Amino acid sequence: MGRWIAVTLMLLTGLARAAALPDDPLRSPMWEYNLVRYLGDEAQVVIDDRVALKVPGFAEDSAQVPLTVDLSAFPGPIRQLVSWVDFNPVPLLFKLTPEAAQPRLIALNFRVQQATAVRVAAQADDGRWHIGSADVDAAGGGCTAPSMTAANPDWQTAFGTIRGGAFSPVPGHTRFKFHTLHPMDSGMVGNVPAFRIDDVRLHDLASDRLLLRMRLAESAAENPMFVFELAGERRAVRLWMRDNNGNLFERELALGEGG
Amino acid sequence: MAASTRLQVRAMVMCLLCLLSAPSLVAARSYGLEATAVADGVWVVEGTTENFSPANGGNIVNTGFIETDAGVVVIDTGPSRRYGEALRALIARHSDQPVTHVLLTHHHPDHVFGNQAFPEHTLYMLPRGRELLARDGPAFAENMYRLVGDWMRGTELVVPPNTLSPGVLTVGTRRLRLMAFAGHTGSDLVVLDETSGVLFASDLVFYNRALTTPQTPGLARWAEELQQLRTLPFRVLVPGHGPVSDGGAALAQMADYLSWLDHALTQAARRGLSRSEVMQMAIPERFAAVAGRRYELVRTTTHLYPGYEKAALELLANPEATPGSQ
Ligand SMILES: [Zn+2]
Repeated sequence: MGRWIAVTLMLLTGLARAAALPDDPLRSPMWEYNLVRYLGDEAQVVIDDRVALKVPGFAEDSAQVPLTVDLSAFPGPIRQLVSWVDFNPVPLLFKLTPEAAQPRLIALNFRVQQATAVRVAAQADDGRWHIGSADVDAAGGGCTAPSMTAANPDWQTAFGTIRGGAFSPVPGHTRFKFHTLHPMDSGMVGNVPAFRIDDVRLHDLASDRLLLRMRLAESAAENPMFVFELAGERRAVRLWMRDNNGNLFERELALGEGG
Repeated sequence: MAASTRLQVRAMVMCLLCLLSAPSLVAARSYGLEATAVADGVWVVEGTTENFSPANGGNIVNTGFIETDAGVVVIDTGPSRRYGEALRALIARHSDQPVTHVLLTHHHPDHVFGNQAFPEHTLYMLPRGRELLARDGPAFAENMYRLVGDWMRGTELVVPPNTLSPGVLTVGTRRLRLMAFAGHTGSDLVVLDETSGVLFASDLVFYNRALTTPQTPGLARWAEELQQLRTLPFRVLVPGHGPVSDGGAALAQMADYLSWLDHALTQAARRGLSRSEVMQMAIPERFAAVAGRRYELVRTTTHLYPGYEKAALELLANPEATPGSQ
Protein backbone atom coordinates (compact mmCIF):
# COMPACT_ATOMS: atom_id res chain seq x y z
CA MET A 1 0.00 0.00 0.00
CA GLY A 2 2.66 2.47 1.14
CA ARG A 3 4.72 1.46 -1.87
CA TRP A 4 1.90 2.28 -4.24
CA ILE A 5 1.47 5.67 -2.72
CA ALA A 6 5.18 6.34 -3.13
CA VAL A 7 5.09 5.26 -6.78
CA THR A 8 2.00 7.31 -7.48
CA LEU A 9 3.58 10.32 -5.83
CA MET A 10 6.71 9.88 -7.93
CA LEU A 11 4.64 9.66 -11.08
CA LEU A 12 2.64 12.70 -10.12
CA THR A 13 5.79 14.69 -9.32
CA GLY A 14 7.30 13.59 -12.60
CA LEU A 15 4.20 14.71 -14.48
CA ALA A 16 3.97 17.95 -12.57
CA ARG A 17 7.68 18.64 -13.24
CA ALA A 18 7.31 17.92 -16.94
CA ALA A 19 4.25 20.14 -17.17
CA ALA A 20 5.87 23.03 -15.35
CA LEU A 21 8.91 23.35 -17.61
CA PRO A 22 8.38 25.22 -20.88
CA ASP A 23 9.64 23.70 -24.12
CA ASP A 24 13.21 24.56 -24.99
CA PRO A 25 13.17 27.09 -27.86
CA LEU A 26 16.49 25.54 -29.00
CA ARG A 27 15.39 21.90 -28.57
CA SER A 28 18.54 20.79 -26.78
CA PRO A 29 18.35 17.32 -25.19
CA MET A 30 20.15 18.75 -22.14
CA TRP A 31 17.46 21.35 -21.41
CA GLU A 32 15.58 19.66 -18.57
CA TYR A 33 18.58 17.92 -17.10
CA ASN A 34 20.61 21.12 -16.74
CA LEU A 35 17.64 23.18 -15.50
CA VAL A 36 17.13 20.70 -12.66
CA ARG A 37 20.86 20.36 -12.07
CA TYR A 38 21.57 24.09 -11.76
CA LEU A 39 18.23 25.59 -10.67
CA GLY A 40 16.85 22.70 -8.63
CA ASP A 41 13.81 20.41 -8.77
CA GLU A 42 11.33 22.99 -7.71
CA ALA A 43 12.43 25.79 -10.03
CA GLN A 44 9.71 27.79 -11.73
CA VAL A 45 10.96 28.58 -15.19
CA VAL A 46 9.86 31.00 -17.90
CA ILE A 47 11.49 31.89 -21.21
CA ASP A 48 12.21 35.58 -21.38
CA ASP A 49 14.16 37.48 -24.05
CA ARG A 50 14.51 40.44 -21.71
CA VAL A 51 17.32 38.31 -20.30
CA ALA A 52 19.26 39.17 -23.45
CA LEU A 53 22.06 36.73 -24.12
CA LYS A 54 24.52 37.86 -26.78
CA VAL A 55 26.89 35.22 -28.14
CA PRO A 56 28.13 34.92 -31.74
CA GLY A 57 26.43 32.30 -33.91
CA PHE A 58 29.75 30.52 -34.34
CA ALA A 59 32.95 30.29 -32.36
CA GLU A 60 35.92 31.62 -34.31
CA ASP A 61 38.08 30.57 -31.34
CA SER A 62 36.46 27.81 -29.30
CA ALA A 63 38.70 28.60 -26.33
CA GLN A 64 37.46 32.22 -26.19
CA VAL A 65 33.79 32.66 -27.04
CA PRO A 66 32.37 35.97 -25.85
CA LEU A 67 29.16 36.09 -23.86
CA THR A 68 27.23 39.17 -22.76
CA VAL A 69 24.13 39.12 -20.58
CA ASP A 70 22.23 42.35 -20.97
CA LEU A 71 19.57 42.87 -18.29
CA SER A 72 18.79 46.48 -19.17
CA ALA A 73 15.32 45.52 -20.42
CA PHE A 74 14.60 43.26 -17.43
CA PRO A 75 12.23 44.86 -14.93
CA GLY A 76 13.11 44.78 -11.28
CA PRO A 77 16.01 43.41 -9.32
CA ILE A 78 17.37 39.89 -9.57
CA ARG A 79 18.39 37.50 -6.82
CA GLN A 80 20.82 35.38 -8.84
CA LEU A 81 22.22 34.87 -12.30
CA VAL A 82 23.35 31.41 -13.46
CA SER A 83 24.90 30.54 -16.82
CA TRP A 84 25.82 27.21 -18.42
CA VAL A 85 26.87 25.69 -21.75
CA ASP A 86 24.68 22.64 -22.47
CA PHE A 87 27.20 20.31 -24.10
CA ASN A 88 30.40 21.19 -22.26
CA PRO A 89 31.98 18.46 -20.11
CA VAL A 90 31.20 20.63 -17.07
CA PRO A 91 28.43 22.89 -18.37
CA LEU A 92 28.46 25.49 -15.58
CA LEU A 93 30.00 28.85 -16.44
CA PHE A 94 29.13 31.03 -13.43
CA LYS A 95 26.72 31.77 -10.61
CA LEU A 96 26.43 35.42 -9.72
CA THR A 97 24.81 36.91 -6.65
CA PRO A 98 24.12 40.64 -6.44
CA GLU A 99 24.69 42.07 -2.98
CA ALA A 100 24.65 45.86 -2.64
CA ALA A 101 24.49 46.43 -6.41
CA GLN A 102 22.31 45.14 -9.23
CA PRO A 103 24.11 44.11 -12.43
CA ARG A 104 22.74 45.56 -15.66
CA LEU A 105 25.24 43.83 -17.92
CA ILE A 106 27.79 41.06 -17.44
CA ALA A 107 30.33 39.85 -19.99
CA LEU A 108 33.03 37.21 -20.00
CA ASN A 109 34.42 34.54 -22.32
CA PHE A 110 33.75 30.81 -22.21
CA ARG A 111 35.16 27.67 -23.77
CA VAL A 112 33.10 25.46 -26.03
CA GLN A 113 33.66 21.80 -26.78
CA GLN A 114 31.13 21.40 -29.62
CA ALA A 115 28.10 23.12 -31.13
CA THR A 116 25.79 23.81 -28.20
CA ALA A 117 23.05 25.87 -26.61
CA VAL A 118 24.18 28.47 -24.06
CA ARG A 119 21.91 29.58 -21.20
CA VAL A 120 21.56 32.31 -18.71
CA ALA A 121 18.95 32.20 -15.97
CA ALA A 122 18.00 35.28 -13.96
CA GLN A 123 16.02 34.72 -10.77
CA ALA A 124 13.50 37.51 -10.19
CA ASP A 125 12.47 38.73 -6.76
CA ASP A 126 9.43 36.39 -6.75
CA GLY A 127 11.77 33.40 -7.09
CA ARG A 128 10.89 32.63 -10.70
CA TRP A 129 13.72 31.93 -13.16
CA HIS A 130 13.77 33.82 -16.46
CA ILE A 131 15.84 32.08 -19.13
CA GLY A 132 17.67 33.53 -22.12
CA SER A 133 19.24 31.09 -24.62
CA ALA A 134 21.44 31.17 -27.71
CA ASP A 135 23.05 28.63 -30.01
CA VAL A 136 26.74 28.68 -30.84
CA ASP A 137 28.28 26.57 -33.58
CA ALA A 138 31.83 25.36 -33.04
CA ALA A 139 34.46 23.13 -34.59
CA GLY A 140 35.17 22.17 -31.00
CA GLY A 141 38.07 21.43 -28.77
CA GLY A 142 37.89 24.58 -26.64
CA CYS A 143 37.72 22.61 -23.40
CA THR A 144 40.46 20.14 -24.24
CA ALA A 145 42.96 22.46 -25.91
CA PRO A 146 46.00 23.15 -23.74
CA SER A 147 46.16 26.60 -22.23
CA MET A 148 47.93 29.18 -24.41
CA THR A 149 49.14 31.02 -21.35
CA ALA A 150 51.12 28.13 -19.92
CA ALA A 151 52.65 27.44 -23.36
CA ASN A 152 54.24 30.88 -23.28
CA PRO A 153 57.64 30.72 -21.48
CA ASP A 154 57.07 34.20 -20.02
CA TRP A 155 53.74 33.42 -18.45
CA GLN A 156 54.98 33.09 -14.91
CA THR A 157 56.26 36.67 -14.84
CA ALA A 158 53.03 37.90 -16.43
CA PHE A 159 50.82 35.70 -14.24
CA GLY A 160 48.29 37.75 -12.34
CA THR A 161 48.81 40.89 -14.43
CA ILE A 162 45.54 42.80 -14.27
CA ARG A 163 44.39 45.63 -16.50
CA GLY A 164 41.20 47.55 -15.95
CA GLY A 165 38.99 50.40 -17.01
CA ALA A 166 35.90 52.20 -15.72
CA PHE A 167 33.31 53.64 -18.09
CA SER A 168 29.92 55.29 -17.92
CA PRO A 169 28.06 54.07 -21.02
CA VAL A 170 24.68 55.37 -19.84
CA PRO A 171 24.12 58.11 -17.26
CA GLY A 172 23.55 56.53 -13.87
CA HIS A 173 25.28 53.27 -14.74
CA THR A 174 28.93 52.41 -14.31
CA ARG A 175 30.82 49.78 -16.22
CA PHE A 176 33.99 48.13 -14.91
CA LYS A 177 36.17 46.01 -17.10
CA PHE A 178 39.00 43.76 -15.93
CA HIS A 179 41.47 41.53 -17.73
CA THR A 180 43.60 39.04 -15.79
CA LEU A 181 46.41 36.84 -17.05
CA HIS A 182 45.66 33.43 -15.58
CA PRO A 183 45.78 29.99 -17.28
CA MET A 184 42.39 28.99 -15.82
CA ASP A 185 43.19 25.29 -16.29
CA SER A 186 39.92 23.47 -15.88
CA GLY A 187 41.52 20.19 -14.78
CA MET A 188 40.03 18.41 -17.80
CA VAL A 189 43.06 18.51 -20.11
CA GLY A 190 45.53 15.65 -19.89
CA ASN A 191 47.37 15.60 -16.58
CA VAL A 192 47.15 19.34 -15.98
CA PRO A 193 45.53 19.86 -12.58
CA ALA A 194 42.77 22.42 -12.11
CA PHE A 195 44.25 25.87 -11.62
CA ARG A 196 41.66 28.55 -12.00
CA ILE A 197 40.07 31.60 -10.44
CA ASP A 198 36.78 30.43 -8.93
CA ASP A 199 35.73 33.36 -6.75
CA VAL A 200 35.32 36.95 -7.95
CA ARG A 201 33.99 39.77 -5.79
CA LEU A 202 33.44 43.44 -6.35
CA HIS A 203 33.40 45.84 -3.39
CA ASP A 204 32.57 49.51 -3.15
CA LEU A 205 35.94 51.12 -2.46
CA ALA A 206 34.75 53.82 -0.05
CA SER A 207 32.41 51.74 2.13
CA ASP A 208 34.00 48.32 1.44
CA ARG A 209 30.50 46.90 1.01
CA LEU A 210 30.27 43.81 -1.16
CA LEU A 211 28.56 44.79 -4.41
CA LEU A 212 28.36 41.40 -6.10
CA ARG A 213 29.94 37.98 -6.07
CA MET A 214 30.56 35.58 -8.94
CA ARG A 215 31.49 31.92 -8.60
CA LEU A 216 33.30 30.92 -11.78
CA ALA A 217 33.17 27.34 -13.04
CA GLU A 218 35.04 25.12 -15.52
CA SER A 219 33.51 26.56 -18.70
CA ALA A 220 35.21 29.94 -18.11
CA ALA A 221 37.98 30.83 -20.59
CA GLU A 222 41.62 31.47 -19.73
CA ASN A 223 42.87 35.03 -19.19
CA PRO A 224 39.41 36.14 -18.09
CA MET A 225 38.01 39.44 -19.31
CA PHE A 226 35.09 40.58 -17.18
CA VAL A 227 32.66 43.39 -17.79
CA PHE A 228 30.40 44.37 -14.89
CA GLU A 229 27.93 47.14 -15.54
CA LEU A 230 26.18 48.21 -12.35
CA ALA A 231 23.02 50.17 -11.81
CA GLY A 232 23.72 53.34 -9.91
CA GLU A 233 26.71 55.65 -9.65
CA ARG A 234 29.80 53.83 -8.48
CA ARG A 235 32.87 55.99 -8.45
CA ALA A 236 35.38 53.37 -7.37
CA VAL A 237 35.52 49.65 -6.70
CA ARG A 238 37.88 47.03 -5.35
CA LEU A 239 38.17 43.78 -7.29
CA TRP A 240 38.93 40.71 -5.21
CA MET A 241 39.63 37.31 -6.79
CA ARG A 242 40.92 34.01 -5.51
CA ASP A 243 42.03 30.90 -7.41
CA ASN A 244 41.75 27.30 -6.22
CA ASN A 245 45.46 27.34 -5.22
CA GLY A 246 44.79 30.15 -2.77
CA ASN A 247 46.34 32.98 -4.81
CA LEU A 248 44.63 36.27 -4.05
CA PHE A 249 44.32 39.11 -6.53
CA GLU A 250 43.15 42.54 -5.44
CA ARG A 251 42.97 45.76 -7.45
CA GLU A 252 41.32 49.14 -7.10
CA LEU A 253 39.71 50.98 -9.96
CA ALA A 254 38.07 54.40 -10.10
CA LEU A 255 36.06 56.13 -12.78
CA GLY A 256 38.42 58.70 -14.29
CA GLU A 257 37.74 62.40 -14.77
CA GLY A 258 35.15 62.76 -17.49
CA GLY A 259 35.30 58.95 -18.05
CA MET B 1 43.89 -17.05 -56.21
CA ALA B 2 41.40 -16.41 -53.44
CA ALA B 3 42.82 -12.93 -53.02
CA SER B 4 42.44 -12.07 -56.68
CA THR B 5 38.86 -13.32 -56.68
CA ARG B 6 38.16 -11.14 -53.70
CA LEU B 7 39.70 -8.17 -55.49
CA GLN B 8 37.58 -8.87 -58.56
CA VAL B 9 34.44 -9.04 -56.48
CA ARG B 10 35.41 -5.84 -54.70
CA ALA B 11 36.13 -4.16 -58.02
CA MET B 12 32.71 -5.18 -59.33
CA VAL B 13 31.01 -3.83 -56.24
CA MET B 14 32.96 -0.59 -56.55
CA CYS B 15 31.93 -0.27 -60.20
CA LEU B 16 28.31 -0.81 -59.30
CA LEU B 17 28.60 1.86 -56.65
CA CYS B 18 30.26 4.15 -59.18
CA LEU B 19 27.48 3.59 -61.69
CA LEU B 20 24.85 4.26 -59.09
CA SER B 21 26.36 7.40 -57.65
CA ALA B 22 28.76 8.80 -60.23
CA PRO B 23 26.50 11.00 -62.38
CA SER B 24 25.23 13.17 -59.55
CA LEU B 25 28.57 13.32 -57.74
CA VAL B 26 30.59 14.24 -60.81
CA ALA B 27 28.09 16.90 -61.81
CA ALA B 28 28.12 18.36 -58.31
CA ARG B 29 31.90 18.41 -57.95
CA SER B 30 33.19 20.10 -61.04
CA TYR B 31 34.47 23.63 -60.44
CA GLY B 32 33.55 24.72 -63.97
CA LEU B 33 36.47 27.17 -64.02
CA GLU B 34 36.51 29.82 -66.70
CA ALA B 35 39.34 32.15 -67.65
CA THR B 36 38.65 35.79 -68.51
CA ALA B 37 41.27 37.66 -70.53
CA VAL B 38 41.98 40.96 -68.73
CA ALA B 39 44.86 42.00 -71.02
CA ASP B 40 46.80 40.50 -73.90
CA GLY B 41 48.07 37.13 -72.62
CA VAL B 42 46.74 37.67 -69.08
CA TRP B 43 43.79 35.70 -67.71
CA VAL B 44 41.92 35.73 -64.41
CA VAL B 45 39.88 32.86 -62.99
CA GLU B 46 37.34 34.53 -60.72
CA GLY B 47 35.79 32.80 -57.70
CA THR B 48 32.71 33.74 -55.71
CA THR B 49 32.75 36.14 -52.75
CA GLU B 50 31.16 33.56 -50.43
CA ASN B 51 32.61 31.73 -47.44
CA PHE B 52 34.07 28.25 -47.76
CA SER B 53 31.21 25.76 -48.12
CA PRO B 54 30.53 22.27 -49.44
CA ALA B 55 28.46 23.98 -52.17
CA ASN B 56 31.35 26.04 -53.61
CA GLY B 57 34.19 23.63 -52.87
CA GLY B 58 36.33 26.51 -51.66
CA ASN B 59 36.26 28.31 -55.01
CA ILE B 60 36.05 31.73 -53.38
CA VAL B 61 39.36 32.99 -54.69
CA ASN B 62 40.80 34.63 -57.80
CA THR B 63 43.71 32.92 -59.52
CA GLY B 64 45.41 33.95 -62.75
CA PHE B 65 47.98 33.15 -65.40
CA ILE B 66 50.23 35.08 -67.72
CA GLU B 67 51.54 33.76 -71.02
CA THR B 68 55.08 34.64 -72.07
CA ASP B 69 57.15 33.42 -75.00
CA ALA B 70 59.15 31.34 -72.53
CA GLY B 71 56.35 29.66 -70.57
CA VAL B 72 53.28 30.39 -68.49
CA VAL B 73 53.42 32.12 -65.08
CA VAL B 74 50.60 31.06 -62.74
CA ILE B 75 49.45 33.13 -59.78
CA ASP B 76 48.01 30.96 -56.99
CA THR B 77 46.64 27.43 -57.32
CA GLY B 78 43.28 27.48 -55.54
CA PRO B 79 41.78 25.60 -52.59
CA SER B 80 42.22 21.92 -53.53
CA ARG B 81 44.02 19.42 -55.72
CA ARG B 82 40.89 19.17 -57.83
CA TYR B 83 40.90 22.95 -58.39
CA GLY B 84 44.61 22.89 -59.25
CA GLU B 85 44.04 20.16 -61.83
CA ALA B 86 41.10 22.05 -63.34
CA LEU B 87 43.23 25.21 -63.45
CA ARG B 88 46.04 23.40 -65.21
CA ALA B 89 43.64 21.99 -67.81
CA LEU B 90 42.16 25.46 -68.29
CA ILE B 91 45.62 26.96 -68.86
CA ALA B 92 46.35 24.30 -71.48
CA ARG B 93 43.21 25.36 -73.37
CA HIS B 94 44.53 28.94 -73.60
CA SER B 95 48.25 28.46 -74.13
CA ASP B 96 50.60 25.93 -75.71
CA GLN B 97 53.42 27.06 -73.45
CA PRO B 98 54.40 24.92 -70.46
CA VAL B 99 53.94 26.25 -66.95
CA THR B 100 57.38 27.39 -65.79
CA HIS B 101 56.54 29.50 -62.71
CA VAL B 102 53.81 29.20 -60.11
CA LEU B 103 53.91 32.25 -57.83
CA LEU B 104 52.11 31.65 -54.54
CA THR B 105 51.06 34.95 -53.04
CA HIS B 106 50.53 33.89 -49.42
CA HIS B 107 49.97 30.86 -47.25
CA HIS B 108 46.17 30.87 -47.00
CA PRO B 109 44.58 27.56 -47.98
CA ASP B 110 42.39 28.93 -50.79
CA HIS B 111 45.55 30.12 -52.58
CA VAL B 112 47.94 27.18 -52.25
CA PHE B 113 46.13 23.85 -51.92
CA GLY B 114 46.08 23.30 -55.68
CA ASN B 115 49.92 23.06 -55.66
CA GLN B 116 49.92 19.29 -56.25
CA ALA B 117 48.65 19.77 -59.80
CA PHE B 118 51.88 21.54 -60.83
CA PRO B 119 55.45 20.22 -61.08
CA GLU B 120 57.12 20.91 -57.77
CA HIS B 121 60.13 22.67 -59.34
CA THR B 122 57.78 25.37 -60.72
CA LEU B 123 56.48 26.41 -57.28
CA TYR B 124 57.80 29.71 -55.82
CA MET B 125 57.00 31.64 -52.66
CA LEU B 126 58.48 34.42 -50.50
CA PRO B 127 60.69 32.90 -47.76
CA ARG B 128 58.47 34.05 -44.90
CA GLY B 129 55.32 32.81 -46.64
CA ARG B 130 56.98 29.44 -47.09
CA GLU B 131 57.73 29.26 -43.36
CA LEU B 132 54.17 30.22 -42.50
CA LEU B 133 52.80 27.59 -44.88
CA ALA B 134 54.98 24.88 -43.37
CA ARG B 135 53.83 25.94 -39.89
CA ASP B 136 50.09 26.49 -40.47
CA GLY B 137 49.46 24.29 -43.52
CA PRO B 138 48.50 21.09 -41.68
CA ALA B 139 45.94 22.91 -39.51
CA PHE B 140 44.58 24.74 -42.57
CA ALA B 141 44.20 21.42 -44.41
CA GLU B 142 42.25 19.91 -41.55
CA ASN B 143 40.00 22.94 -41.43
CA MET B 144 39.41 22.83 -45.20
CA TYR B 145 38.37 19.18 -45.09
CA ARG B 146 35.87 20.15 -42.41
CA LEU B 147 34.56 23.21 -44.26
CA VAL B 148 34.26 21.99 -47.87
CA GLY B 149 34.34 18.21 -47.46
CA ASP B 150 34.82 15.82 -50.34
CA TRP B 151 36.13 18.48 -52.77
CA MET B 152 39.38 18.21 -50.84
CA ARG B 153 39.83 14.50 -51.51
CA GLY B 154 43.46 13.68 -52.29
CA THR B 155 44.64 17.18 -51.40
CA GLU B 156 47.97 17.34 -49.64
CA LEU B 157 50.10 20.22 -48.47
CA VAL B 158 52.99 21.01 -50.84
CA VAL B 159 55.46 23.59 -49.57
CA PRO B 160 57.19 25.22 -52.58
CA PRO B 161 60.88 24.30 -52.87
CA ASN B 162 61.81 27.65 -54.45
CA THR B 163 61.95 31.03 -52.79
CA LEU B 164 61.37 34.41 -54.40
CA SER B 165 62.98 37.72 -53.66
CA PRO B 166 61.40 41.10 -54.37
CA GLY B 167 62.51 42.69 -57.64
CA VAL B 168 61.96 42.10 -61.33
CA LEU B 169 61.37 38.57 -62.57
CA THR B 170 61.90 38.39 -66.33
CA VAL B 171 60.21 35.50 -68.10
CA GLY B 172 60.70 35.65 -71.87
CA THR B 173 59.88 39.21 -72.83
CA ARG B 174 57.65 39.87 -69.82
CA ARG B 175 58.84 41.88 -66.84
CA LEU B 176 57.05 41.00 -63.61
CA ARG B 177 57.67 43.27 -60.64
CA LEU B 178 57.50 41.24 -57.42
CA MET B 179 56.78 43.09 -54.19
CA ALA B 180 56.74 41.78 -50.63
CA PHE B 181 54.09 43.18 -48.29
CA ALA B 182 52.79 41.95 -44.94
CA GLY B 183 49.42 43.55 -44.14
CA HIS B 184 47.19 40.53 -44.73
CA THR B 185 49.26 37.61 -43.39
CA GLY B 186 52.78 38.78 -42.57
CA SER B 187 53.98 37.74 -46.04
CA ASP B 188 51.98 38.89 -49.04
CA LEU B 189 53.32 38.83 -52.58
CA VAL B 190 52.03 41.40 -55.04
CA VAL B 191 52.82 40.95 -58.75
CA LEU B 192 52.73 43.77 -61.28
CA ASP B 193 53.00 42.68 -64.90
CA GLU B 194 54.81 45.76 -66.22
CA THR B 195 54.20 44.66 -69.80
CA SER B 196 50.39 44.70 -69.53
CA GLY B 197 49.82 46.89 -66.47
CA VAL B 198 47.88 44.15 -64.66
CA LEU B 199 48.36 44.22 -60.89
CA PHE B 200 47.77 40.98 -59.00
CA ALA B 201 47.18 42.50 -55.55
CA SER B 202 46.15 39.19 -54.02
CA ASP B 203 44.57 39.47 -50.56
CA LEU B 204 45.95 42.92 -49.84
CA VAL B 205 42.79 43.89 -51.70
CA PHE B 206 39.32 42.47 -51.14
CA TYR B 207 36.65 44.10 -53.32
CA ASN B 208 32.94 43.81 -52.46
CA ARG B 209 34.03 41.12 -50.01
CA ALA B 210 34.92 41.70 -46.37
CA LEU B 211 38.61 41.36 -45.62
CA THR B 212 39.82 38.49 -43.41
CA THR B 213 42.13 39.06 -40.47
CA PRO B 214 43.30 35.87 -38.73
CA GLN B 215 46.98 36.49 -39.54
CA THR B 216 47.20 40.24 -40.05
CA PRO B 217 49.95 42.05 -38.14
CA GLY B 218 47.47 44.93 -37.77
CA LEU B 219 45.00 47.07 -39.67
CA ALA B 220 47.23 50.17 -39.55
CA ARG B 221 50.07 48.33 -41.31
CA TRP B 222 47.64 47.01 -43.89
CA ALA B 223 46.22 50.50 -44.55
CA GLU B 224 49.75 51.88 -45.01
CA GLU B 225 50.58 49.23 -47.60
CA LEU B 226 47.36 49.94 -49.43
CA GLN B 227 48.61 53.52 -49.89
CA GLN B 228 51.76 52.12 -51.50
CA LEU B 229 49.68 50.04 -53.93
CA ARG B 230 47.90 53.21 -55.05
CA THR B 231 51.16 54.64 -56.36
CA LEU B 232 51.89 51.71 -58.68
CA PRO B 233 51.49 52.16 -62.46
CA PHE B 234 48.68 49.65 -63.16
CA ARG B 235 45.68 49.69 -65.49
CA VAL B 236 43.88 46.59 -64.21
CA LEU B 237 43.64 45.45 -60.60
CA VAL B 238 43.03 41.80 -59.72
CA PRO B 239 42.00 41.51 -56.05
CA GLY B 240 42.41 38.24 -54.16
CA HIS B 241 38.64 38.15 -53.73
CA GLY B 242 36.01 40.04 -55.72
CA PRO B 243 35.71 41.44 -59.23
CA VAL B 244 38.52 42.65 -61.49
CA SER B 245 38.40 46.37 -62.26
CA ASP B 246 40.54 49.40 -63.05
CA GLY B 247 41.16 49.44 -59.30
CA GLY B 248 40.08 52.94 -58.30
CA ALA B 249 36.85 52.00 -56.57
CA ALA B 250 38.34 48.78 -55.18
CA LEU B 251 41.24 50.56 -53.48
CA ALA B 252 38.96 53.34 -52.22
CA GLN B 253 36.51 50.84 -50.73
CA MET B 254 39.29 48.81 -49.17
CA ALA B 255 40.93 51.87 -47.60
CA ASP B 256 37.56 53.12 -46.35
CA TYR B 257 36.66 49.74 -44.84
CA LEU B 258 40.03 49.32 -43.16
CA SER B 259 39.95 52.78 -41.65
CA TRP B 260 36.33 52.38 -40.48
CA LEU B 261 37.18 49.03 -38.86
CA ASP B 262 40.26 50.39 -37.12
CA HIS B 263 38.38 53.45 -35.88
CA ALA B 264 35.29 51.49 -34.78
CA LEU B 265 37.34 48.98 -32.78
CA THR B 266 39.36 51.78 -31.16
CA GLN B 267 36.20 53.68 -30.16
CA ALA B 268 34.46 50.53 -28.91
CA ALA B 269 37.42 49.70 -26.67
CA ARG B 270 37.50 53.27 -25.32
CA ARG B 271 33.81 52.98 -24.42
CA GLY B 272 34.44 49.65 -22.66
CA LEU B 273 32.26 47.56 -24.99
CA SER B 274 32.31 43.80 -24.55
CA ARG B 275 33.37 41.52 -27.39
CA SER B 276 29.86 40.32 -28.15
CA GLU B 277 28.61 43.91 -28.25
CA VAL B 278 31.29 44.72 -30.82
CA MET B 279 30.32 41.70 -32.91
CA GLN B 280 26.79 43.13 -33.09
CA MET B 281 27.71 46.77 -33.72
CA ALA B 282 26.22 48.63 -36.67
CA ILE B 283 28.11 48.44 -39.97
CA PRO B 284 27.68 51.63 -42.04
CA GLU B 285 25.21 51.48 -44.91
CA ARG B 286 27.91 52.48 -47.41
CA PHE B 287 29.38 48.96 -47.02
CA ALA B 288 26.13 47.25 -48.08
CA ALA B 289 27.92 45.85 -51.18
CA VAL B 290 30.64 44.21 -49.08
CA ALA B 291 29.73 40.51 -48.89
CA GLY B 292 30.33 38.63 -45.66
CA ARG B 293 30.80 41.80 -43.58
CA ARG B 294 28.92 40.62 -40.46
CA TYR B 295 30.54 37.19 -40.51
CA GLU B 296 34.01 38.69 -40.88
CA LEU B 297 33.31 41.28 -38.18
CA VAL B 298 32.65 38.42 -35.75
CA ARG B 299 35.95 36.82 -36.77
CA THR B 300 37.90 40.10 -36.74
CA THR B 301 36.55 40.95 -33.28
CA THR B 302 37.89 37.59 -32.09
CA HIS B 303 41.29 38.13 -33.74
CA LEU B 304 41.92 41.82 -33.13
CA TYR B 305 39.60 43.34 -30.51
CA PRO B 306 41.57 41.89 -27.56
CA GLY B 307 44.54 44.01 -28.68
CA TYR B 308 42.38 47.17 -28.82
CA GLU B 309 40.93 46.31 -25.40
CA LYS B 310 44.37 45.89 -23.92
CA ALA B 311 45.41 49.30 -25.23
CA ALA B 312 42.30 50.92 -23.72
CA LEU B 313 42.73 49.40 -20.25
CA GLU B 314 45.30 50.60 -17.75
CA LEU B 315 47.68 48.37 -15.89
CA LEU B 316 46.42 48.13 -12.31
CA ALA B 317 49.00 47.97 -9.55
CA ASN B 318 48.58 45.57 -6.69
CA PRO B 319 47.79 47.83 -3.71
CA GLU B 320 49.35 45.28 -1.32
CA ALA B 321 52.62 45.36 -3.23
CA THR B 322 52.99 49.14 -3.16
CA PRO B 323 55.82 50.09 -0.78
CA GLY B 324 54.62 52.14 2.17
CA SER B 325 51.00 51.21 1.71
CA GLN B 326 50.89 49.33 5.02
ZN1 LIG C 1 44.25 35.32 -47.76
